[in-house]
Formats: sequence, C-alpha cells, structure tokens
Amino acid sequence: MEYRIFEVFVQKDHGSPHVWVGSVDAGSADDALLLARESFLRRDPAVSIWVVEQQQIHRTDYEDKDFFARESDRAYRMLSGYNKANAEKWRKYKKNLLDLEKDFVKD
Amino acid sequence: MENRPVLVELLYQLADDELVIGHRDSEWLGLAPHIEEDIAYASIAQDEIGHANMYYKLLEELGEGKADDLAFLRPADERKNAVLLERPNGAGTYLENPEFEWDYTVARRLFYDLFDAVRLDVLTRSSYTPLAQVAAKIRREERYHLLHHTTWFKRLATGTDESRRRLESGIAKAWADLGGLFSLGGVPTSEVFPATTTDLVDRFTAELKPLFADVGLAWPAPMLMRPPLGLDGRRGQHTEELAALLETMGEVYRTAPGATW
Amino acid sequence: MPQVSEPNDEQRLAEFMARIGRGEKIEATDWMPDEYRITLVKFMQMHALSEVMGALPEKEWVPKAPTLARKLSLMAKVQDEMGHGQLILRVAEDLAIPMGKNREDLVNELFTGVAKFHNVFHMPAPTWADAGIIGWLVDGAAVVSQAALLDSSYGPYARVLQRVCAEEGFHIQHGESICLALAEGTPEQRQSLQEALNRWWESLLLFFGPAETTSASATILLKYRFRTKTNEELRQKFFTKYVPRIWSLGLTLPDPDFRWNEATQLWEYTAPDWSKLKAIARNQGPLSQYRLGLRRMSYEQTRWVREALLGGSKSQAV
Repeated sequence: MEYRIFEVFVQKDHGSPHVWVGSVDAGSADDALLLARESFLRRDPAVSIWVVEQQQIHRTDYEDKDFFARESDRAYRMLSGYNKANAEKWRKYKKNLLDLEKDFVKD
Repeated sequence: MENRPVLVELLYQLADDELVIGHRDSEWLGLAPHIEEDIAYASIAQDEIGHANMYYKLLEELGEGKADDLAFLRPADERKNAVLLERPNGAGTYLENPEFEWDYTVARRLFYDLFDAVRLDVLTRSSYTPLAQVAAKIRREERYHLLHHTTWFKRLATGTDESRRRLESGIAKAWADLGGLFSLGGVPTSEVFPATTTDLVDRFTAELKPLFADVGLAWPAPMLMRPPLGLDGRRGQHTEELAALLETMGEVYRTAPGATW
Repeated sequence: MPQVSEPNDEQRLAEFMARIGRGEKIEATDWMPDEYRITLVKFMQMHALSEVMGALPEKEWVPKAPTLARKLSLMAKVQDEMGHGQLILRVAEDLAIPMGKNREDLVNELFTGVAKFHNVFHMPAPTWADAGIIGWLVDGAAVVSQAALLDSSYGPYARVLQRVCAEEGFHIQHGESICLALAEGTPEQRQSLQEALNRWWESLLLFFGPAETTSASATILLKYRFRTKTNEELRQKFFTKYVPRIWSLGLTLPDPDFRWNEATQLWEYTAPDWSKLKAIARNQGPLSQYRLGLRRMSYEQTRWVREALLGGSKSQAV
C-alpha cells in the first residue's frame, strides 16, 4: 500500500468556512478523515473535515510574485478610503439635525 | 527642463492609451461571457484607469493641469491614444443593443498587453525617474493582464471550430489597426524613450509569433513593419468613435468642470 | 433485539424543525424537506440574480462617471455586486443539484420569467445623482435586509452573507461620499440630488415588500428561520437609520405626511402604490424588459465562448 498525501480543511463551527490546517499520509480518503481528527483536533472543536488528495490541488508559483501585484493605490475601493472623510462631514450635519429635532437620532 | 515637450507628449500617449482602453473595458461590465469572467475583467478595467490616473498625475506634476481635466476635457484631435484602442467593442453602444464581440476584445487586448509589456520595459529605462518608477509598478500589474488574455487566446484558438473561426476574425479586425500602436508620433527616440518603432515591433513580433505557432494559427499578412496605414492616433488622427466616446465620458463632468463630484 | 426502523419522513421533519428551533445550521448534505430546499433555492436564486441585475443600473454610470476616482470606485462596486451574485449563485447551485438544476438552468429561468429579480432594479437611473442615491440608500436598504438573513438557518448562505455584508460597508460609504459631494456642491448639483431622492423614494418603500403579507413563501421563510424579520420591521429599521441623515442634509422626503409617531414608536408614512409590485413581478416594470434584454442579448451572444471553455479543451475546469 502506498501512502497518499491528503490536505486537510477544518470547519470549526457552522458560522465559519473550512480552513486549511495541514496534511496527513493515509491509504485512502476515509482513512485520512479518521486520522485528521487526531492530527488536528485534539484540542479544538470542529463540525466538519474535508480531505483533498494533494495531487488534486493546483497551485500558483511562489516565484511568480507579479501574479499578486497590486501596485496602484486602492483606497478608492476600501472602507478606509471614505469613512474618515464621510464621518467628519456627518458630524457637521448631525449638529444641524440636533438643532432641529431631538428625538430622531437613533443609530 | 530639457526634453520636457517630448516627455509631455509621451505621457499623453501613455495616459490616453490606458484611459481609452480602460473605458472600453468598462463597457463590458455585466455583459461578459460568464460571471467569474465579469469579475476578473472588472479588475483589469480598474487597473487601466488606475494606470491612466498615474500618468495624468505625472502630467499634473509637470504643470499640464489637473488630472481629471486632462482626462475629461481635451478634445479628440488632441488625444494621443492609438486608434486600435478607441474602436468599439462591437456594434451598438453599451446602453443600446450592445452586440459586443468577445473574440475582437480578446485579440485587441492581447495585442495591447503584449505591446504594453514591451513599451513598459523601455520606460523603466527612461531618463525621467518618476516615469521609470511608475512604469516599474505598472509592469508588475500588467503581468496578470497578459496572463489573462494569453489564456483566453489559447482557449478560443483550441476550443471549438466556431471559437477558432471567430478568433481568427477578431485577429484580422484588430490587425488592421495594429501598426498604429507602434507609432511614436511626435516622440523621437531619446533618453526619455530609448527605443525605436522598429525595436518595439521586433520585440512584439518575437513574443507573439510563438503564441500563434503554439496554437497553430497562421501569422496574418501583411507584416507589421509597414508604417501604419490610415489614421495615426499618436498624431491626433482619430475616428468618429473616439469623439462619441469622449462625449459620453465627459457628459457629466462638463456640466460643472471645477465642481467637486 | 428489535430492529431500529429507519425514521420516516414525518419523524425526520419533526427532528428537522427541532434543529431549526434550536438555532442549528442546516448544511448542504443534510436531509431537508423538499419544501425547504425548493423555497431556499428560489430565494437564493432571486438574491443572486438580483445582485447580477443590480449591477446594470450602476454600470450605466461608469462610462460617464465625472472623475477618475469615481469611475474607479463605481467599477469596484459593480464588480462586488457581480461577486456577490457569484457567491450566492454557487450556494444555490449546490443546493439545486438534487433538483436536477445547474447554473445554466438557474440563469435561464431569469430569461423565461420563472425567476424574478428584485423590484428595485427595474427602475431607471437617469442622472449621476441617481448613482449616488443607489449607492447610499438602495445599498443601505439591502444591508438592513441582509442583516436579517445573517442568522439564516441555512449554513452555506449565512456564511457567504458575512462576506457580502462586509463588502457592502464600502458600497454605502462610496454612495454617501457621492451624495455628500452633491449636497455640498452647486445649486444644480443639490437640486439633482433632491430630484433623485424624490424619484427613488417610492422604490425604497417598495424595496421591503408589503407590510401585511400572507404569501405562502413569506410564511415559509419565517417558519424555517430562513429570514428572521418581517417586511415592516425591516422598513422601519431603514427609516430609523437613514431618514435623520437625509433630513440633516437639508433634503426633504416627497411625502409630506412622513413623521415619527411617539405613541406607537413607529414611523408613519404614506403607503406607496403596492400594485406596482405586481407589474414588476411580471417583468413589466419601467426598465424590466430593457435590462433583461441586455442580459439575454449578452448571454446569447457569448454562448459560443462558454461552449469553447466547457466543451473544447481537455481537462480544463472553469
């Protein structure tokens, strides 16, 4: 019997996605599921384990850094690109509103 | 500064190229062949507009005016983009009956990405340091664009008989305007742009020919070495389509230039 | 020893409802009653298709966006909407497998009219100010609505919505930023903002659906804890969050009777014309056919591309 390598993904609770935690050597996928439980969940709770045979994983090349290059300023698509400037303006307008009516400002 | 007029002319070519192709790319939003592709393509469109913004900012630093004004207000006969990039994505407009052609888009985008890779390499050796630095950044981002469009080129070439036939037609259509990319317009070869049209064409051809061979597509004739026939966008010669594009692009901006939007 | 018999459907259903009652999450591989699966697929399909169709009114403004920064920002927002459509459609696709439906089927139902898309996206966006109002208030309404789905009993949907809601934060800030700029701008800019608000107000009321609903699917959604609030609760929440801000900018609502009722602790508003929802449900809203037409046209015209991707090259997953 040849060992095959299985990559292991664990879902810690129903609110979370599966996350990669490591790999196991096993003879089959079913074996891998059993073994993964003890390799990775001795201390941590979980609701689900996936195993995927390592050769089924396709990967990018670490050497290919440009594949991930994000060089332009991306503030335009980030919350941080707006929230300070907007918040300053709203503070100004909120003052207006408090001067008009008292009871409506519930956030 | 020495060479300032040449530098400014070059920057307009770069900025206008990226702005116009980014604008055409953005017309595909919501209309791409499938959802995942729509999402990926939107990043490419954003990158191009981002690059245009970087180049217009360099022009702003040189005292040409505000980046948005340069992008939105200049008339068609002052634009220095290549005509290939202003051509529509297909019949109709993005609002009315967009009969957009994915094969033409893939061909045009691949050719532009390859050309840009060659051009950016030259720009990283420009004597104007701010430009060399911007070019180095842009080149890293363009890597994904080239990979994306090369992949599409191969998929369509080797997919079905229909996709291959359509790609050939898209290639032929883009080929007619291809020469115009390589025109240097009013920019002589100098330390600001240390390459000639011939250099660019040779390097481009060296990159593209193997790709055609890989997928068994015939290299279209005539060869690129001939000076561009027809309109030279880099000398401000454009189509009606650019005028329409600029009309749309500046429609809101022109209602109150100088206002904050 | 007596045989333990297989649970019958009635027992399974009882246990299923007990799980729901305990606030447990249902996963794709769990047993579920057909009614749950069918209703869920339909709901998520509509949500996904709405995200995709929702990109269309805003993408109209990308080519005309009045600054490079706004052009970028609006493109990023539209991209996110397509992204949300993709995430939710994948969840729907997985659940629809036992029903024999795949992505092609789910998308085609949009064109045949079997699947609907949200009423708000059937409406016109004739000016730049509309793009601002959509980003601020339509997305604002969507966030209020989606927050009530975050605790959905269906696990994959609840998880995907976390990501969706996180991205919506940027959308609202982007929309606010546009509206604030217009509110503080030239008299014409201010006026265009007020006019856009007047145009969208009714749609914002209609967004949450009718207050009194005995529709079968609305009842099912609450019964299975798929959604945890009623239409009216959500609409009231929207008012509380946004009306004060609208007023603080010196804008008015096109409803002179809109007011806070201290006694009932509810906002009172003039009811919109609910019958408009019926026309929209038949895809006879102002721009229903136009927008469907765009999607249908692009889908048909790019069929050859999908065929090349899926049928052509060997061993390529899409």
